[in-house]
Amino acid sequence: MREHPDLSRRSFVARVASGALAVAGLAAGAAEALARPAGIAPGADDDEPPEQVKRVLEARFGKRPLRKGHVQLDIPSDAPDGRTVPLFIESDLPMTPDEYVKGVHILVDHNPDIHLAEYRLTPALGAASIDTRIKMRRTSYVRAIVETSRGELWYAASKVFVTLNGCG
Amino acid sequence: MTNDANDANGRGGRAPAAELGDARILLPERIEQGSLVHVRALLSHPMHTGLFRTAKGEPIPSHFVKRVTVTYGGEEVAAFDWTSGVSRDPYVAFPLRATREAPLAITWSDNRGGVYTQSVDVTFG
Repeated sequence: MREHPDLSRRSFVARVASGALAVAGLAAGAAEALARPAGIAPGADDDEPPEQVKRVLEARFGKRPLRKGHVQLDIPSDAPDGRTVPLFIESDLPMTPDEYVKGVHILVDHNPDIHLAEYRLTPALGAASIDTRIKMRRTSYVRAIVETSRGELWYAASKVFVTLNGCG
Repeated sequence: MTNDANDANGRGGRAPAAELGDARILLPERIEQGSLVHVRALLSHPMHTGLFRTAKGEPIPSHFVKRVTVTYGGEEVAAFDWTSGVSRDPYVAFPLRATREAPLAITWSDNRGGVYTQSVDVTFG
């Protein structure tokens, strides 16, 4: 996987863009300063999907291997308000007519709808990134999965601590 | 577009700032031909999950945007499938290669037959 020398700048730009449209972004950003529960590291490495998530993945992608990499998932590790959690997904994979990112999927392990959204992209976009805001029921892994036009699957996962249930 | 305009769980009662279906597409002020532009789109929509009740205990039926299509010069360049897990007043931003001067149109369709469209012109200068 390539290094991203400009990633922090992009993340910053993305967050500023979100913030300009909604106070929500600011609230989430401020919350990162709050202490998280002791003894639990954010974004811990153990992102093995639970059974219910494996079933969703298999129904959608079959037995194709899911590999870590080529996906950057920017999401706060602490989300005080589960009704609106900002996230930014970016991939460094090519966006040419021969080979491109055709789908970006968001999954939340502990939401009522585990598969939250799919973004189908085309090479006309010129790059693969999505910036949006999602609801989260409780503390959970959020998974960003990128599917290429050749059928390869790449992912990134991040654990998000949620205080206020945003799903019911 | 404040976060406390809350009818998602029935505890709020404050009317949303914008009406259902108000849609905005934001492009950079100046666009150069061939450049990658950051497109931001916002729709006023409750995005009800169907899992909440009002303060009186009445269920709030699900009402959410299921599909978003993006066309540039009439050609579909992206399509999004959403659930009610996307936040209220859904915001989405994505890149676009500005290859030509043409309209960029976004259509949001919800699970109750609501269809909302907004269009802006990509112009160079």
